[in-house]
Amino acid sequence: MRALAGVILAAIVSIAGVLAGAWWAPFVAGLAIGFVQPRARFAVPAGAIVGLLAWALPLAALQIQYGAGSAAESLAAIMGFGHLGAIPIVLTCTVGLLLGLTGAWLGSAARSLAYPAISR
Amino acid sequence: MINAIAALIVCAAVLYAAFAGAGPLPALGPAFNPVTGAWTMAADAANSSQSQTLRLAGLEKPVNVTLEPDGTSHIVAQTDHDLFLATGYMHARFRLFQMDLLRRQGEGRLSEVVGKAALDSDRFELQLGLLRTAQAEWNAASSRSRLAGIAYAQGVNDRISEAETNHQLPAMFALLGYQPKPWTPVDSLIVKGDMTQTLNFTDTPLVMALLEKSLGADLTSQWFATLPPNPQSPYDPGPYPPAVAPAPIATLSQVSDSEAVAAADAYQRLAALPAGLIATGGDSNNWAVAESRSASGGALMAGDPHLHLTLPAIWYQLSWDSPSYHVSGVSIPGTPAVLIGHNQHISWSLTDAQNQQTFFYLEHEDSAHPGRYLWKGAWKSYNNVSYDIPVLGGPTEHLTVKLSVHGPVITERGQTTSVWWAGNIPSQDLDVLLGIDQAGNYQQFRDALRGWYSPTHNFVYADDHGNIGLISAGYYPQVAAGQPWLPMPGTGEDDVVGTIPFDAIPQAYNPPDGILWSANQRQVTADYPYYIGTTSNFFEPPYRAEEIHHMLSPGTKLSAADMMAMQTDTRDYLASEIVPVLLQAIPGSAEKDLLASWDYRMEINSPAATIWWTFWQAYLASTFDSYWHSRDVKVARSEVNNALGQDLEAWTLGDPNNAVFKYGGSSNTAVDVMRLAFTSTVSTLTKQLGSDPSTWTWGQVHQRVIENLAQVKGLDYGPRPDGGDAYTPLAAPDFPSSHGPSWRMVVDWGAGTFQAIYPGGQSENPASTWYSDRVDTWFNGKYAAMLTADAAAKAGGAKTWSMQP
Repeated sequence: MRALAGVILAAIVSIAGVLAGAWWAPFVAGLAIGFVQPRARFAVPAGAIVGLLAWALPLAALQIQYGAGSAAESLAAIMGFGHLGAIPIVLTCTVGLLLGLTGAWLGSAARSLAYPAISR
Repeated sequence: MINAIAALIVCAAVLYAAFAGAGPLPALGPAFNPVTGAWTMAADAANSSQSQTLRLAGLEKPVNVTLEPDGTSHIVAQTDHDLFLATGYMHARFRLFQMDLLRRQGEGRLSEVVGKAALDSDRFELQLGLLRTAQAEWNAASSRSRLAGIAYAQGVNDRISEAETNHQLPAMFALLGYQPKPWTPVDSLIVKGDMTQTLNFTDTPLVMALLEKSLGADLTSQWFATLPPNPQSPYDPGPYPPAVAPAPIATLSQVSDSEAVAAADAYQRLAALPAGLIATGGDSNNWAVAESRSASGGALMAGDPHLHLTLPAIWYQLSWDSPSYHVSGVSIPGTPAVLIGHNQHISWSLTDAQNQQTFFYLEHEDSAHPGRYLWKGAWKSYNNVSYDIPVLGGPTEHLTVKLSVHGPVITERGQTTSVWWAGNIPSQDLDVLLGIDQAGNYQQFRDALRGWYSPTHNFVYADDHGNIGLISAGYYPQVAAGQPWLPMPGTGEDDVVGTIPFDAIPQAYNPPDGILWSANQRQVTADYPYYIGTTSNFFEPPYRAEEIHHMLSPGTKLSAADMMAMQTDTRDYLASEIVPVLLQAIPGSAEKDLLASWDYRMEINSPAATIWWTFWQAYLASTFDSYWHSRDVKVARSEVNNALGQDLEAWTLGDPNNAVFKYGGSSNTAVDVMRLAFTSTVSTLTKQLGSDPSTWTWGQVHQRVIENLAQVKGLDYGPRPDGGDAYTPLAAPDFPSSHGPSWRMVVDWGAGTFQAIYPGGQSENPASTWYSDRVDTWFNGKYAAMLTADAAAKAGGAKTWSMQP
């Protein structure tokens, strides 16, 4: 339960960071999750989910408030993908996910070096 | 340990891609962050079309801006200062990236944000010296221009600060990973310089030199004569005052000798530059009809400047109301002036006059005087100046340029060549435009234009008293001696010594027949006593002008609706001359039948239009390509087709036995070559479009595209089939055509109606409905009313932006 609470807290902090312009916040949050959470098999997916949420929820809010379809199509065009608006959406979510995931992985790996006996 | 190393490596890769980008990808973190990255274009698109209250630093009093449902902005300010400030804000709000691109182009700073792909452009611009000229212009600016420039820059910077604070910078900044630097008044003058360069910096004398070298002096002088071989539809037929000594040209002494200009390595280097940096001929139309010929009883005026059609467009539509200005029309984002439009008493539009304003000089050097050149009997040292060009992802480029008394040295291969360009003369064009915006009659309009140097434009005029005028304002450089259409000796004898006096430049006011027109044609007859350029490439062929004159000439009264029909007219005047001759030359066939029943209109559903245009290209090729190949001409024939086409027109109609048709000792005449070309035409089109000529519609081969300014293909409009060609009033050269009427305006002073349209939208944001919302209307030949601020506020759907100090 405490682990889940920690993840939720990390997600909230990450989302707040992203909303404030600190787009790298999921990486830091993932790093913290990975370092604090002794089970890597829990920490790394949790970090990925935190990263995904931190980037996807503001994007969802953007869609609800303004409609993001035209922006997605425009970004796809700029990227050379015609009007396939799904591509920048997937890319955006992937960036968030990777930031959280790699942060957690690195944190977990650092923990295993610092505390080898209690890391799993 | 292995896990830690793997984690570290993967983390480093992800963070590198997120912070710095990889390959063509931008830095993914800041670029795609949904809150502050490129996604903010969605919020910008939604917010910009809503009423809002804004606080702008520097405002003296509240300003009210009404936005029509299409984004046309009506600025009502209580002081002139606030008018310019609000204009700067509105331009930046909707076009900041475009403005930044334009100033970077002129300043030679594109490589800093796009990398080495822009280095050639940057080198060229720094050598040419738009920045230096703009700085000199600003140092000598009038109080009116200073007020406008400073307040405008404040408005732009207000928007930059606001956008940075609220994470609302245009998406392209996020994707390219840079922030705009503050705007300055000099930046506005650079944007104006970009336009001057695009419209009149030419390489024609270099082309002529290459032609003379390969074709020989005889053919070159015959085919590229100083005076045209055909009637030119001049709007100012004379009589002309006798030539007097040239008026002095404003000296270049305002420009510090320590500042640098230079150009590229002559023709090849100029030809290799990105499109748009060198003038390649512009097509524009304007005309005016006096009250005596108007159905409404008031003067009529129409104007459609033809430019590269882009999204966002070069134009931003607005109206101004302040103590000194009551103007409606279009402005260029980055500049605090209404360039084309109307005020309460007068209306105006412009076309490119296309006289020669670029001259090349061969500097005399010898080994006994290294680093010097001979000028007026003395050896002078070049000014050597160095520039640094920051390059994204690469080392900073160092550039050293040389400056002679004539201007920048553009090549040192063979013989050192420098270029004298009127656009390098510091001018007060901004003050002229503001003077036009405030003018209330022709005298004030004409007086304002005395200060206009470059590019030379045909300014058409109409007013609320039924008067019309047309004046080709700008510098017409005169040389002391020599052949200015070729590179000239730089030893002083052939230098530019002045310009045609203002009172003697082409102009007309209230002509007896009540009509005036310009379409980039030569404005005067062969009797005009001054040199203004050759037919070789300076002036456009007269076909659009002839067609416009043809439509204006009948004695019937004309209306605004007639003006609109003329602006989208697709009748090819050259076809109307040549096709009857062709029909006499060729045997009967289905293709001939199509031509025989054709009305010479280049409509998308016309197969005859396709046959005609293909034939004309084949006729040019059949006549000239043998010479081109046998003499190894280094200039693409297509580059001089305008001149060759006028020759071919004249020979076909009046000299069918000309020696040009008898290449290789044959006994061919124009008729024989036409038959040959027509056979080739049918063969080509059969292969390309099938065996049934009735299906060879013009729309299949001729399309128009409106290109995204940042060259993002997915953000283009089109291509889609469109009528017209290079010679029709509805100008649509090239395949696909990306050049044409950038703004159509029709004014009827009798009815009090002002109508206009441009192919684009007010916003550069591709997610905005204002990105390309006007294009369909423009394509369909429709117009929108140019409303006053009051009328716009009362119209349905208008939004109000309240700007507070």
